Amino acid sequence: MPEEATSSTFASERLHINKGAEETVRELLRSLLESGKVDAVLALGRTGNGSGGVAYSLFRDPAAFEADGDAVPLLPFMPANAGGLLSRLTLEGALDEPVAAMIRPCELRAFVELVKLSQGSLDNVLLISSTCGGVYPLDADIDGRLEEKLPEYWEGVARGELSDDARPTCRACQHFVPEGADITVALLGEADLDTECTLQLNTERGATFASEVEGTPISEKPKSEAIDRSQSEREAFREELFAGVGVGLKDLIHTFGRCIGCHGCKTVCPICYCHLCYFDSQNCERPTGYYEGELVRKGGLRVPSDTVYFQLGRMAHMAVSCVGCGMCTDVCPADIPVSTLFSKVGAAAQAVFDYEPGRDVAEEIPLRTFEEEEFAQVAT
Amino acid sequence: MEEQEFQPAIVGFLCNWCTYAAADSAGVSRFKMPPSVMVVRVMCSGRVDPLFVLTAFFLGADGVLISGCWPGQCHYQVGNLQARRRTALLKSIFDTLGLELEDRLRLSWISSSEAPRFVRVVKAFDRQITDLGPSPIRDELFL
Amino acid sequence: MSGNGAMLAAEDGVEAALIGWLKETLNKDIFDALLMPVRTPAGDSFAYLLLQDPAILDGASPLPPVMPVQGGKAIGRLTMHGDGSKRIAAVVRPCEARAAIELAKLEQAHLDNVYLITLDCSGVLPLADYLEDPVAGADRFREASSAWDRSPMRPTCQICDRFSIRQAPGSDLHVGTLGCADGTAVLVAGSPKGERILEQMGMRAEDETKRTDALDAALAAWGTRVDEVGDAQTERRREVQRELQETIAGAEKLLDVFRSCINCHNCQRACPVCYCRQCYFESGALKLPPENYLARAERKGALRFPPDTLLFHIGRASHMAISCVSCGACEDACPTAIPVGQVFSLLGERAQEALGYVAGVSLEDPLPLVSYEMDELHDVEQPYVETYRNQEVQDA
Repeated sequence: MPEEATSSTFASERLHINKGAEETVRELLRSLLESGKVDAVLALGRTGNGSGGVAYSLFRDPAAFEADGDAVPLLPFMPANAGGLLSRLTLEGALDEPVAAMIRPCELRAFVELVKLSQGSLDNVLLISSTCGGVYPLDADIDGRLEEKLPEYWEGVARGELSDDARPTCRACQHFVPEGADITVALLGEADLDTECTLQLNTERGATFASEVEGTPISEKPKSEAIDRSQSEREAFREELFAGVGVGLKDLIHTFGRCIGCHGCKTVCPICYCHLCYFDSQNCERPTGYYEGELVRKGGLRVPSDTVYFQLGRMAHMAVSCVGCGMCTDVCPADIPVSTLFSKVGAAAQAVFDYEPGRDVAEEIPLRTFEEEEFAQVAT
Repeated sequence: MEEQEFQPAIVGFLCNWCTYAAADSAGVSRFKMPPSVMVVRVMCSGRVDPLFVLTAFFLGADGVLISGCWPGQCHYQVGNLQARRRTALLKSIFDTLGLELEDRLRLSWISSSEAPRFVRVVKAFDRQITDLGPSPIRDELFL
Repeated sequence: MSGNGAMLAAEDGVEAALIGWLKETLNKDIFDALLMPVRTPAGDSFAYLLLQDPAILDGASPLPPVMPVQGGKAIGRLTMHGDGSKRIAAVVRPCEARAAIELAKLEQAHLDNVYLITLDCSGVLPLADYLEDPVAGADRFREASSAWDRSPMRPTCQICDRFSIRQAPGSDLHVGTLGCADGTAVLVAGSPKGERILEQMGMRAEDETKRTDALDAALAAWGTRVDEVGDAQTERRREVQRELQETIAGAEKLLDVFRSCINCHNCQRACPVCYCRQCYFESGALKLPPENYLARAERKGALRFPPDTLLFHIGRASHMAISCVSCGACEDACPTAIPVGQVFSLLGERAQEALGYVAGVSLEDPLPLVSYEMDELHDVEQPYVETYRNQEVQDA
């Protein structure tokens, strides 16, 4: 039966557990599977024979979450935005039985956006998230080098700090406290992460699924000092990051000069869901006459055409829903700071409509609605 | 050497029921207007995809005009309200990227009985674009 | 190949000489436009530009240190919907010309008004290496390429044995540099179209007896050296591919090679031969109801998500291996450093061998999967025929 993602009548509960965060999460997910409360868990897992390789997996065997199992639910890595994966899972039909998903705040927001776009269903999805300390870029795990970074990473998270090597978009993120999760694992700023853990049960569904967890209910509000500090640090970094990407046509041309038109940014973007992207369709296959015409008009043009057109067009299509996850920069073979640009444009566009993607599944996407009286200054 | 005066190339997306009719009426009444607007008739200003605007600029337009019925009078009820939001979005993108195209994109409401208003808008926009000069995008090779 | 050629005086280097020659062809109205790599405005890469303004050629490079976009793909996108009315000279590397020819066979390029001009190629740098420091990269490239040292180049370039028109005979004109004396190069026609260009440029002797000894000697020296290096490269290729085959033998090893794959499909997008608007592996055919994924996850204990990673790679190989030109554009585009170009180059080599085909050398060679003989490939069918015949004998 469909449930609302957020229940306004439910008061958040907090559970204090005498085990480290990693152990707590593993045990929670393992027991959810073993007890049959959920049919599967979507979480990160190791692939390959030991020298790197991480992918999201749909786990059904509880053994995967044992200490030596393949699952690595809290690994600071994002090989794909899980919001897009949840969409893929539920696109052709809602889940009949519960499935738990251990995902990051931006992935959760992306999924909520996709649900609004009819690209998935929240039914029977148990959303587990955490206060996020960011992820490393994709190339950090080549040959398994990510392992070496983990101790430093977790020390930093316990202090409420992000690694300098984390994705720049993570270091600039303003939405690292998840909204709309059924269960939130407190990580950022939790000084004793390896011996204790606090779970926040935000919804009735969360509380029901976590009912077997051995922990002490606590009533005190979570410390927000570390969260606040991280917020202002990230705001400062964000300003710096956005200022670092040039504005103006010349800068835009420079930035996308290296673009090879692979559209990888679009493919990994959780929001870009079109089965056949407009920019891959026949509409953007230019007849020879088009090239010849532009050649005469300008004296020359880049081939294939529409490199910058694709970027601006994609902005026009998805900027209002951009959750700033950073997958696009990560996948770019030409080292273009796509996410910085798209996050910047996205944030500005979202501000115009006073909109935050993914904060509320009931909030309509700004381009799908309108008011009788608004934006009077736009029409002249 | 002959100095060629810059003649702006403006693409105008005019809605069939209101602005296009006004434009037609202006023509029939032989009102004088600069010849800079290339008219593309659309059934509703809400038909205008942001990509139309981008395509126009990338193919060399110096200005883009979208014009439709006044809010509340749209032949399809709310198309013009959607056009207004899309225009707000495009202007935000242009502004954030510092492309200086916001002033080259204009959204107007001109009803079918407002032929003189159509003439005024075209004259004013033509003057605005002339002052701004040719669009910086039109001669870029590395697009 | 006719062996018709001309000397190209290149005192200031072959690149400068070729660019000068190309400017002349534009000025003499022999070509209407050129398609070639031009330095990007930021100076940090190169992009293919279709140009008719000779001034743009000052920023052009016929052999840039990187290949961000495969030239065959550029030619394909330019002419996918039919021949144009302009005569366009495309200055590309041999693998790019081969890709263009394959695309023409697949009706994704139309080459009637395109003149393929290739050069002897010693490879390109991996894009990621170059982008780390484009200035240092350009220096490294210049040094290595002038010494025909392939060690810093793409892994597929390192084992390339079709780097000249002598092994990739599909282009119309070719600039030969290997084995040529300093300050010279040879310009060789590879087709009647190419011969006509040489004629129009006043470079072709009308009469065989007028060919100078110097030209003959230069062509011979070039030919000998190219064949020498080509043979050495072929041997190296066989050895490296043999070793690689062991590294990927079996599902476990292959899965390990692709352990970091994130299903971004950059490899498919960068590939000049993969032209499908919507790749099968992105289509609705693989978008299934959750029950399907859950059942598969149940059977295996877990299901990598999104699924079908290996299916995509093997499937893509089954679609395009016969046309693979071993350019390595796929590997450049991979964000997780998977040696996908090397794997596909191996698969392509074997597939083409099995079907007696070489991708991209002649428009006359039919694509092996859309042509057939009555009497061929009996070793593929034989087991079936044997069994069937035996059964017939038994049943009789």
